[in-house]
Amino acid sequence: MTQMGFYFDQTRCTGCYTCAVACKDWHDLDAGTVNWMRVNAIEKGRFPDLFVAYLALPCCHCTNPPCAAVCPVEAISKRASDGIVVVDRDKCPGNMDCRSACFKACPWDVPQFDPGKNVKMQKCDLCLERLKKGRQTICVEACPMYALDVGPLSELRAKYGDCVEAEGFRYSERFKPSVIFKLKKE
Amino acid sequence: MIAKKSTLSNEDITIVPTGCCHDCGGRCVLKAHVKDGKILRLETDNGEQPQIRACLRGRAYRQRLYSQDRLKYPLRRVGERGEGKFERVSWDEALDEVASKMTKIKEAYGNSTIFLAAGSGNQGMLHGAPPVGAMLLAFGGFTRIWGVASYEAPLFASMATYGTIKTGNSREDLLNSRLVIIWGWNPANTIWDPETSFTLAKVREKGIKIVVLDSRYTDTAAAFAHQWIPIRPGTDAAMLIAMAYVIITEDMVDRAFIEKYTVGFEKYRDYILGHEDGEPKTPKWAEEITTVPAETIINLAREYALSKPAALIAGWGPARAARGEQYSRAANVLTAITGNIGIDGGYASGFMRAYSSRETASGTHGSGNPVEKGAPPRKNSLYKLRGGTNPNSARIHSAKVYDAILRGRAGGYPTDLKMAYVVASNHLNQHPNARRGVEAFKALEFVVVHEQFMTPTAKFGDIVLPVNTFMERNDIAPPWLGSPYYIYLNKAVDSLFESKSDLDIVRALSKKLGLPPGLGAMKEDDILRIIAGRRDDISDYEQMKRDGVVKIKLPEPVVSFKEQVENPDSNPFPTLSGKIEIHCEHLAEMDNPLLPPIPKYLTHSESYDSPLAAKYPLQLLTTHYKTRAHSTWHNVPWLQEIEPHSVWINPVDAEKRGIENGVRVYVFNDRGKIRIPAKVTERIMPGVVNVSQGAWYDPDEQGVDIGGCANVLTDDAHSPSGTHHMNSALVQVEPAEEVAP
Repeated sequence: MTQMGFYFDQTRCTGCYTCAVACKDWHDLDAGTVNWMRVNAIEKGRFPDLFVAYLALPCCHCTNPPCAAVCPVEAISKRASDGIVVVDRDKCPGNMDCRSACFKACPWDVPQFDPGKNVKMQKCDLCLERLKKGRQTICVEACPMYALDVGPLSELRAKYGDCVEAEGFRYSERFKPSVIFKLKKE
Repeated sequence: MIAKKSTLSNEDITIVPTGCCHDCGGRCVLKAHVKDGKILRLETDNGEQPQIRACLRGRAYRQRLYSQDRLKYPLRRVGERGEGKFERVSWDEALDEVASKMTKIKEAYGNSTIFLAAGSGNQGMLHGAPPVGAMLLAFGGFTRIWGVASYEAPLFASMATYGTIKTGNSREDLLNSRLVIIWGWNPANTIWDPETSFTLAKVREKGIKIVVLDSRYTDTAAAFAHQWIPIRPGTDAAMLIAMAYVIITEDMVDRAFIEKYTVGFEKYRDYILGHEDGEPKTPKWAEEITTVPAETIINLAREYALSKPAALIAGWGPARAARGEQYSRAANVLTAITGNIGIDGGYASGFMRAYSSRETASGTHGSGNPVEKGAPPRKNSLYKLRGGTNPNSARIHSAKVYDAILRGRAGGYPTDLKMAYVVASNHLNQHPNARRGVEAFKALEFVVVHEQFMTPTAKFGDIVLPVNTFMERNDIAPPWLGSPYYIYLNKAVDSLFESKSDLDIVRALSKKLGLPPGLGAMKEDDILRIIAGRRDDISDYEQMKRDGVVKIKLPEPVVSFKEQVENPDSNPFPTLSGKIEIHCEHLAEMDNPLLPPIPKYLTHSESYDSPLAAKYPLQLLTTHYKTRAHSTWHNVPWLQEIEPHSVWINPVDAEKRGIENGVRVYVFNDRGKIRIPAKVTERIMPGVVNVSQGAWYDPDEQGVDIGGCANVLTDDAHSPSGTHHMNSALVQVEPAEEVAP
């Protein structure tokens, strides 16, 4: 099985949020609801000795996805062919039934819900439809800094190394998120 | 429509190459995926390198295009002007009224009383202000502004020092530098041509040291700087002058370069050493003014002088301040005395339009405008030089338009303005002293506005005409400042509601005014073909239209003044002396202590150490914002949620005032008061606050602007070069009382 993965060069990120907006446009997500691609600012230090980094993070498409493990109706699954973790929204009963079990299980808050009652989970599917057509994900093609990449994890490792550390990110040996980073050091 | 079928979907989707062309600092490629006449989603440039990838603003275009707030029909004011009450009227009624008011005003008061408020909201070459200007010329002329809020000081200083605005090097040449100093420049947020940030990343990755000077720890500093030097606003010239002191006294100047290519070095040296005023401009002297430790100044001066070739990029931000021309001049002169001009990896600072066929930004010498005919050159203008700002004295400085409306000829202005024709401009929001602007707009007899949304300015229209967006018409976007490319903005969908292009409005109105059709008789495509034909770097119009972009391959990076430096005898600098003017005789002739012939550190009435600072102790910056291009995009939800509008304040200043992160505060001075949330952050130096410009003015019943428009606080003043005092206001900040639930 190929495991698809996500690469983020944190040293290049200027915190421009272009990836996040391109994602919302492509997947037609309203403002103020959910973000399949999240960008977070990390600010440390005291004037004038400061450190600022940004972390851009979609779904990590874990080797052992905790969200899938806790879903009571198996609405979340890991595709055998490429390891992409997808949610079947027809199966998802809504977050009232399971009390947002998937959200609680994910260390990175990836599964998200619209505001509203008993809504179904949604998250990044690594632009599955684009990948199927041989195209890159919308975020990778959007980044003005060429700081993102998506591809088979083995290829990403060969290209960028095997660093799984980033400012604002905690790796999980248990879940094995499919991410590679270039770490921005303080 | 130029389009191809999508391979991404089985649906019947066509992809239209178009773009985004507001005044953010870029002009970028967008590919619209269109189905049944509606844009479903966007992609950007995924073609050959260098790709012109759109930023977050362009990617949010659908939320502008399909916003519920789009103006749908022509509107006629029914309430008081500015109250925002309108009724729907037909295009015919609306344009009849505009034509009749314009004719009456022309007959009663003359053409000079018609003010064209032409903004930068549309940067296409066909639509926006150009057709309106052409119509008003045919109508007998109009009054326009001089003094662009963005850059008047760098423009002036560039002309005074080098005789041209074609300075700096094209971006990739930074990879040839050994040191890059970024001074008051934040391309991570302001784009400054789409390839800039990526190039800076490559510079850093190559191991070239980058130093950023800024009162804020900007995204540019965070992403690229090896060293950040916070500096007190308005004092940049003092540090540059002290750097010159170090370079001169430690004998690190490039003597051969100075001798061969410059004039007036000795006079500058005399000022620096204190021979002129008894005050040597030592690093210690500058430390007290700038807060930058003397040792830091000494080290940076040594590094810059000894790391040749080095690039000093003097951004426009610190120049958008009182006496900003002195900062720009001091930077330009520093690049000259170290010989970092005309060489790979160097950088003649100045206006920084390295690659461009355009030599001026706001009109050239001479104009076909009958209102300006015969008017003498303006005082304090560089009228002897070709290029730069038009020196015609019939123009009114853009910071003084309100004063001119309110005081007119009696106040010393060239005319009594009676009507405003507003196009692609949120004038009221984007010029200093917004509350005086309200008074001025109320005093006019007639205001017509072309707009896409009910902006704070549109609210003051008597007639408001709905305009379409880039996606609904064809246009060509030139690069913003000077990257080698053009974008063809193909029309992707039909105009929404009853909106029309600026060109179509002008066509219809011209007919009603009885004007000859001129260009208006031609097809949009034929006009664009003519526009493209005037550019010697667009070789194939059809291909540009088909691809949506033409990228011009430069055989090597553009290095300004290479010819002058390599072969000075046949290539003099375009100044009056033919050399780089450290001492500028044209300035000396002006005999104005605020425009000395050599750069000097000068203070003003809202400097950090002015008496007013006792009452208003915080210096206000009104920088550009990550999620807006000036006031464009302010109303786009995808962008609003990213980093909500706020005032940046250092924890030291916040604590003193009992302000916590996220609470609403008042920011105020004698000109006005705004109420916005505080962002308490170490990323701004103590004593300084930042309210990014562009949020929409929205006064409550007490007159407090709860929209957080920075220009409620800025002064409607300008320095003699024409630079606005956008980063020179003093303010106080206090917690806002909680509003009753």
